[in-house]
Amino acid sequence: MMGKRTLWHKIQILVTMGAVAVFLIPVFLFGSPWPMAARDYLEAEGVQDSGAVNLVSAIYLGYRSFDTLLETIVLLVAILGTLGLMTQIETILGKEQKTTSKTITFSLSDDKRSSHVLRTHLLEVVTGKLSPIVLLFGFYVMLYGHLSPGGGFQGGVIVASGIIFLSLGSGLDASAKFSGYKALGRIEAAAFLLLIVVSMSGIFLGKGFFGNPLESVTVLPAGFIILLNAIIGLKVGTSIGLMCIAMMGRKA
Amino acid sequence: MNPDDIVFAPVILPLFGAALALFSKAFLKGRPAVFLEYAGVLLGLGLPWLAFLQTAPMAFAGNTFQGIIGGWHPAIGISYSYDGLTWLVNILIFSIGIAAWLYSVGAGPKGPVFSTVFLIQIATLAMTITTTDLFNLFVCLEVMGITSYVLIAFSGKPGASLASFSYLMVSATAMVFFLLGFYGLYRLTGAISYLGIVQGLQGLADFGGITANISLVMIVAAILVRVAIMPLHNWLPDAHALAPHAVSAMLSGVLIKVPLFALLRILITIPQGMRIGEVLGYTGALTALFGVVLALSQRDAKRLLAYSSISQIGYVVSAWGMALQVGMETNLGIILMASAFLHAFYHALFKALLFLSIGTTIDRTGVRDVLVRRGSIAILRLQGERIPVTFLCFLCGALAIAAIPPFNGFASKTLLAHALKGNLHYLLLGVASAGTVASYIKLSRIYWPRAKDAEAIDAMVASEPFHRIHWTIHASQSFLAIVCLIGGMAITTIFPLVVRAVGAPGEGLEPSVSLYSVDNLIQTLVITLGGGLLYLLASSKPGCRILYLLRRQRHTFQGLFVSFAVVCAVLSVLI
Repeated sequence: MMGKRTLWHKIQILVTMGAVAVFLIPVFLFGSPWPMAARDYLEAEGVQDSGAVNLVSAIYLGYRSFDTLLETIVLLVAILGTLGLMTQIETILGKEQKTTSKTITFSLSDDKRSSHVLRTHLLEVVTGKLSPIVLLFGFYVMLYGHLSPGGGFQGGVIVASGIIFLSLGSGLDASAKFSGYKALGRIEAAAFLLLIVVSMSGIFLGKGFFGNPLESVTVLPAGFIILLNAIIGLKVGTSIGLMCIAMMGRKA
Repeated sequence: MNPDDIVFAPVILPLFGAALALFSKAFLKGRPAVFLEYAGVLLGLGLPWLAFLQTAPMAFAGNTFQGIIGGWHPAIGISYSYDGLTWLVNILIFSIGIAAWLYSVGAGPKGPVFSTVFLIQIATLAMTITTTDLFNLFVCLEVMGITSYVLIAFSGKPGASLASFSYLMVSATAMVFFLLGFYGLYRLTGAISYLGIVQGLQGLADFGGITANISLVMIVAAILVRVAIMPLHNWLPDAHALAPHAVSAMLSGVLIKVPLFALLRILITIPQGMRIGEVLGYTGALTALFGVVLALSQRDAKRLLAYSSISQIGYVVSAWGMALQVGMETNLGIILMASAFLHAFYHALFKALLFLSIGTTIDRTGVRDVLVRRGSIAILRLQGERIPVTFLCFLCGALAIAAIPPFNGFASKTLLAHALKGNLHYLLLGVASAGTVASYIKLSRIYWPRAKDAEAIDAMVASEPFHRIHWTIHASQSFLAIVCLIGGMAITTIFPLVVRAVGAPGEGLEPSVSLYSVDNLIQTLVITLGGGLLYLLASSKPGCRILYLLRRQRHTFQGLFVSFAVVCAVLSVLI
């Protein structure tokens, strides 16, 4: 009975997949030329319009900046949901057995150093020393997004890995505070608020929703894009860092 | 400040409120945190009403605010359009939003994270109906989806996470096809705004031929998954039944309707829209019928409500599709669309009311099975509800959905029937109405006086400690009940307004319908009696057996994928 059923399911799914593939042929295999309007417009006017040499950031922080705001929100909601689910799972597990959540780090606590003399401190040292460099590179990618490949999202992810390095390398010393759960949560919330305020500030200056509020303030043509890149980078970096640190069991 | 910017108030204010709520969680503690969170919610859900007041004259005059976000070139920027329809749908979103949030304060899930996600969802819904850019619509649907997955999982009930996950898988798969369709249309026309796509298609031989048709069908089918039209409905019952009650109200009331009216914006101008509308009109009528049969077969109170939502969205889609078929320039088209919107709005009100009152009842009595639980009024009274507010609210909702005068369901269903008279839809919807009556008789069993042997349960319930029902729960339920009643009484004022907002009425358009004519009342009586008869049939032995077989049907992801493919194939053959 069961075997028959799985066979029937397999046939069903195979037939459907085949049908969908046939169905999609007219969408992909047809001879009409690629549309040129948007490309030509970008080539002619893109740099002038937005001030960004990197046209990708001109698109996602200029022409389509509202889409980008929503994509940032997707990440925010996904992380809020993940953290919520993790809390739920913890309470369910906590009911069954008292699990002492062990914090994960490469470094040893002071009382264990004497008993674990043979353990190398290589990872701890390397991640600790590397993290400022990674953070710096992240900020570079974030702030130069209008000139070279990169931008807020990419730079933010690099910043997040810097934060994780910081957290893994440092045990419980002063630098751990910076990668603490609370601090990251604060930066994330503040960056989100700032992002919304910046995006609506154009309305009060008569430039419209997502209009450039800096137009009359700065001579730098890509000023608004740099500002948005920086805020989005902070937001993305802290969000992802926050989630990873929560997964490492360092919620307290 | 530019006067046109007011159209972004329903989008940007909830987002700002969400940011404030998140800020309050990160920076503040205790009273100030709660204060800031509530201030954010007030800002996000309350202040947009001022914008609606401000834009009301323009909405009823048939004017439109159009433009590009940020003032960029139309070929590449995000275009939006705020017209009468946007105004109406915004009213729907925000009135249910307020009631649902208020309820969540008393019954949970509450807290800054819930408020943040909830407000983000409201903002996205408002944007979905405002945008006229296909890619922006995609992003809006994505955010709408992800907020609902998170909100469903908030309930923490067993199975809620799984329901949320299967909803995620289903809509993510559908959105892949949306993107493929988007790609096809972009290849053909080089445009991403609705207007640009329509103009591009009109310049092509045979309006783009099979490529355009298939691309369009994939977009339509992907949106229909969100609307939960019949073969694509399988994800809905679990998600809506297991979500927290406030979120269920939001999902059933608003989330399944907004994509439908956003789809209208695409189909209204596109050359293929007329045929798609015709096909969907029939699908809607069939959905109404089969949905109600499935609703009648359920034993879980909230699942019954969820299936009933599928059935009711079928009513809306049948008039909606018919309006597209006859064309929105004609008087009949405008009347049909106005009735479709009105039923969508009224359904949102009474279904939210039903979800909330049933939610309160099953929370308090601890049993969700309508065949097991009896005497809920008494149990609620034992828990400190002196006047049976929850039961009265349920009664309002049930009478409204069963189309008993003078509640709003009677008004909107009569208007729908009036507009659809002489079609096959009319007959199908009539039978479905009888089924609705039967299924709500079944649901009302949980309030019936208790059976003799149930006193032991009552003693058990009474001995357990309980919290008093929070005033916000009663406030939210009563608000919806009163609006349901007013919506039914004031229909002669409301309907002409809706007609004017939906489209510029031509000459000789008579929006006033005499609701309380003898014909209509006889019809209601026949349907109600038919419903009673159907309930008796369903509770007989063979009826129970059939319903048991229907209830046992399992929903799989694979089944939904197969039906998605079938829907795509059928639609593309028929248009």
